[in-house]
Amino acid sequence: MINDFHYLKPASLKEALAMYAEHDDCKVICGGQSLLIVMRQGMVTPEYLLDIKHVKELSYIKFEEKDGLRIGAATTHREIEKSDIIEKKYPVLVAMEEKLASIQTRNWGTIGGNIAHADPAGDPGPVLIALNAEIKFGNSSGETTVPLDEFFVDYFETKMEHGDLALEIHVPTPEPKFGCAYQKFNLLDSDMGIVAAAASVTLNADGTCKAARIVLGNAGPIPLRVTKAEDLLKGKKLDDALFAEAGKIASEDCEPVADIHASEEHRRHVLGVLTKRMLKKAFEQAQKAA
Amino acid sequence: MSHAKYNVINTHVHNIDGVAKVTGRATYTFDVTLPGMLYGKILRSPHPHAKIKNIDATAALALPGVKIVVTGKDTLGIKQGIWRRYEELCDEQVLPLEKVRYIGEPVAAVAAVTEEIAEAALDLIEVDYEVLPAVYEPLEAIKKEAPTIHEGVERNVNVTRHIEWGDVDEAFDEADYIREDWFKCSGQAHMCMETRAAMSNFTPDGKLTCWASTQSAYYTQGLLAGVLGLREGDVRVLAPYVGGGFGGKFELDAAMFCSAVMSMKLFKPVKVVFTREEDFIASKRRTPMFYYVRTGIKKDGTFCARESRMFSNGGAYTGMGATALYLSGFFHSFPYKWRGYRYDGYRVYTNTLPSTSMRGFGAPQAMFCSEQQIDWICADLGLDPFEVRRKNGHTEGYEVPGQAFIASCGLKQCIDEIEKWVKAKGELPANRGIGISSCGFMSGGIFNWFDSPYSFSSAVVTINVDGTVELHVGCQDIGQGSNTTMAIIAAETLGVKMEDIRVHSGDTAHCPADLGAWGSRQTLMAGNAVKMACEDAKKQLLEFAYAEMGINIVYDLDIKDRWVHIVARPERGLPYVDLVKKALRAKDGQRIMGRGYYTPHRKGMISPAYSYMMQAVDAEVDPETGKITIHEVMTAHDCGQPINQLGLIGQLEGAASMALGYAYLEDMPMEDGKLMNPNLVDYKVIKAPQMPEAGIIEIDTYEPEGPYGAKEAGEGLTNPTAAALGNAIYNAMGIQMKELPITPERILKALREKKEQEAQK
Amino acid sequence: MEKQKLSFKVNNDEYEVYIHPKTLLVEVIRDHLGFTGTKRGCETVSCGACTVNVNGASVKSCSVLAIQCEGMEVTTVEGLEKNGKLSPIQKSFLDHGSYQCGFCTPGMLMSASAFIAEAKDPTKDQIKESIEGNVCRCTGYNSIVRAIEAVTQGKYKEE
Repeated sequence: MINDFHYLKPASLKEALAMYAEHDDCKVICGGQSLLIVMRQGMVTPEYLLDIKHVKELSYIKFEEKDGLRIGAATTHREIEKSDIIEKKYPVLVAMEEKLASIQTRNWGTIGGNIAHADPAGDPGPVLIALNAEIKFGNSSGETTVPLDEFFVDYFETKMEHGDLALEIHVPTPEPKFGCAYQKFNLLDSDMGIVAAAASVTLNADGTCKAARIVLGNAGPIPLRVTKAEDLLKGKKLDDALFAEAGKIASEDCEPVADIHASEEHRRHVLGVLTKRMLKKAFEQAQKAA
Repeated sequence: MSHAKYNVINTHVHNIDGVAKVTGRATYTFDVTLPGMLYGKILRSPHPHAKIKNIDATAALALPGVKIVVTGKDTLGIKQGIWRRYEELCDEQVLPLEKVRYIGEPVAAVAAVTEEIAEAALDLIEVDYEVLPAVYEPLEAIKKEAPTIHEGVERNVNVTRHIEWGDVDEAFDEADYIREDWFKCSGQAHMCMETRAAMSNFTPDGKLTCWASTQSAYYTQGLLAGVLGLREGDVRVLAPYVGGGFGGKFELDAAMFCSAVMSMKLFKPVKVVFTREEDFIASKRRTPMFYYVRTGIKKDGTFCARESRMFSNGGAYTGMGATALYLSGFFHSFPYKWRGYRYDGYRVYTNTLPSTSMRGFGAPQAMFCSEQQIDWICADLGLDPFEVRRKNGHTEGYEVPGQAFIASCGLKQCIDEIEKWVKAKGELPANRGIGISSCGFMSGGIFNWFDSPYSFSSAVVTINVDGTVELHVGCQDIGQGSNTTMAIIAAETLGVKMEDIRVHSGDTAHCPADLGAWGSRQTLMAGNAVKMACEDAKKQLLEFAYAEMGINIVYDLDIKDRWVHIVARPERGLPYVDLVKKALRAKDGQRIMGRGYYTPHRKGMISPAYSYMMQAVDAEVDPETGKITIHEVMTAHDCGQPINQLGLIGQLEGAASMALGYAYLEDMPMEDGKLMNPNLVDYKVIKAPQMPEAGIIEIDTYEPEGPYGAKEAGEGLTNPTAAALGNAIYNAMGIQMKELPITPERILKALREKKEQEAQK
Repeated sequence: MEKQKLSFKVNNDEYEVYIHPKTLLVEVIRDHLGFTGTKRGCETVSCGACTVNVNGASVKSCSVLAIQCEGMEVTTVEGLEKNGKLSPIQKSFLDHGSYQCGFCTPGMLMSASAFIAEAKDPTKDQIKESIEGNVCRCTGYNSIVRAIEAVTQGKYKEE
């Protein structure tokens, strides 16, 4: 049973930030798809619940060629999945969303809520980091923008402090010759990944690797960058042997935790396989890209 | 074989409960509310094995809104079980007096004015336990030094079962090749969409009405009466719509018992609904089994002998486990002729969730071992798995020595059809394979361990003046569509239309006793009862028709499509409704009423009839991650004469999804007796994207014992799938999967071992 | 804790209820308004039996605070039929035998109807994904997929 709470329904972002600043024992609900489960289990029992689901200023998808993509934190997963511009410019985001839980969850749950919840098994984190995304959050006295890569601190913990609301995800316009892929390993397609890997590759005009990002999901307390493998690829002409080598590094440099769904050994192994495969997929996309 | 053309049977008819179900009108026990009702919750043991030293409910009772707290001491303390005939197998006090034997076992129950208060009250009940050493696996629990779970039960052996025919040792001597393997089959949760639920209402006249999510209203009535000290006739059980059963809902459960006990003390309605977690940890489960299988075969593929030993994890109580123990051993021989066969099954108590019957009733486990081993033997000897199965398979007229007589059998045709299907698929890509598996299943058990004094199935049919028909049956619709099947049989027999039939079921006050929905019994047994009742009523009607029509008595009369007519001259006749009106008048206004029943006699040890099938599973393995993709399932199936066309397809597809789940997804891992995945996030059931096409080839046979030639369909289809998937993986990757479920990790391990073995060679 | 007023539409009728803010949408629908067609099958937002449509989009009503639906339009299984005429997806479910025990059916129908309203020539895989959030233990889903497919192919018309 959910414990009782005072329900706060701000009419605007400004009011939301003010209310949050005012109430100490306060949690934020947007879609609540993760929060309500833990509240029902009695694990989270706030005195106040601040509902930002209907704060219109936080719900938008904007794209400009120069600036890139900006998604308001209260935008639902389903809106992202259905966005023509995102499908065109960032197909990996749509593909990721299509496998995120169920349509019902995507209809009500929001991107900001997902990121702020900071579950290392969450799907958007690794993909957005692979896309070099940054996040803007703020409180009643100001705003901060950090690379998403630096946003996650620990299991279910981010750089945001009490009073901070996630405001916007910003994804830069992809460079030329860029590719990005994401896959999770699970038994049922829409489940959280037992493990997951996102990879992005940018190629130089001569076909060598200009930059690469490898981000592992559910492989540690936060979405995990495998910088050692990224560095390995930089400047090289990419091939299967390099992807396999990067996969090997990924399987070594991760910190997965065993549970009933897979042992640590199996998780490491599959992370290596997924890393290899996603790098290859991203590379092939990059080759085809303008 | 082609049979009489039917007007209703095997035609496309809607489920008669369909409109209620697609409009939200169907009311389940979960939905029942009554004025003044209270909400019950159950306190459960956190320990796998512990003495209950004291229970203090003072604080809980002080909570405003709490009406009662009951423990074992507030009950008659009767040890109950569904094997009512055998006292030693009645081993479960739903609220135990002295000790708990598994995590999740009820220890107390609360009723309060709201669910929330009842739940809060649970936290205020103080139970003083003395924790006892516990044991979780049958091969540990059977050891001499293992803790005793039930006093006086040596080595924790709950039941044993020996099956033997032929001279087994001699038959092994004749074998050219003998293979032996060990297998481990996992448990599985029934995972009915409607969790266990009951609403009990005891009134000052001494009568109890209980709405229950049950597979057998009659069993629930009998069991409740027994533990409450009431006469069966004073207990009315209503099972309006039931949200699934699958073998898990015909014993007495804590929702029924606790709600009834509290209602009897309070004279108020009390409702108990299990949470999903409770349903996982404290209902029952498919029986986990360890199988040792030794099989002897001649070079030419003739089966000689089989010897098996099986140790099942019985969990804390007997439940339906004793039947599963027998049936597993019996169907382990299926569907083949063995010169010598020996099975020794040991059901061992452990400090875990009790195991019981679940769709397939011990056979899916048995087939996982048997049908894989047969394929491996074929590979060892270079034999064709289709040919070997054809050569040794049951045939019409075969007698399983001392056990069963096979009156109808389409196994050979099933094998032929699947062989054609597999061959038509041609060469498959790497890492992909097709596996086959054949099996059979019963059409209702002939055993009466419940000690029912009533016939196994009964039906009463009453015809109203407008020709509409009231059909009262005791068989229970739990979603499998038995009400529709019974209506089809009634409409066909009486010669009326589906919309003329109203089926009354799921109410012990108005429906005749029937053992209910388990062991694939209702189509055959209740179907025969319905057919008999309708024939009885029809005969009475036709007697008036002879007089009314003034025809020569040597002519045959019949009714089809509401037209009463001379069989030889169908145009000569009268409308059925006119006949009914006249018959009523002639009978001094008494309604036409027919009665029918079915009780099996001289049908061997198991069942009056057996279905047969062969299934093929087309599956692919990702060799790097071990992940399985199921591409297609195809089943050739002999269920005699199909009755309910849509229902049959639904049963087949449903069985495939449940059995595939058992094969590669569903598991009930435990740590120190604690279920590690008691929720639908961690317990994996197949969802729509994983479900492959599952086609069906119906093999036409006629079962003389079944109504219109019908026999089992739906439960047996759970049996072949795990083995067929195992064989598909064997054919694709060359690895032998001896443990369920077949997980990616187990596949990778097997692939590694295979590689190591090859390297050693 | 004080109750708050929630005004919203359910199956085209206006309702005003006074609820604790913690009340879930499914609780208001079933327990306050008595629309028991909507079911509950888990505590973990996994099974989809409680699926209803909010402003035309399917949601699991056990994962939504009712108070968040202020001013919105909720449709439950009881709202699919119009004056005793079944909707296309309901008729298709009947024809295809897309239910057995029926406990998942209301939620399944709501997922399907929301999908059908927006789907254009969906593939079979898309149809399967449309009910991915709904567990059915009886049918194996294929009959449900066939029923949805038939409606998206225009085989059933609104009466």
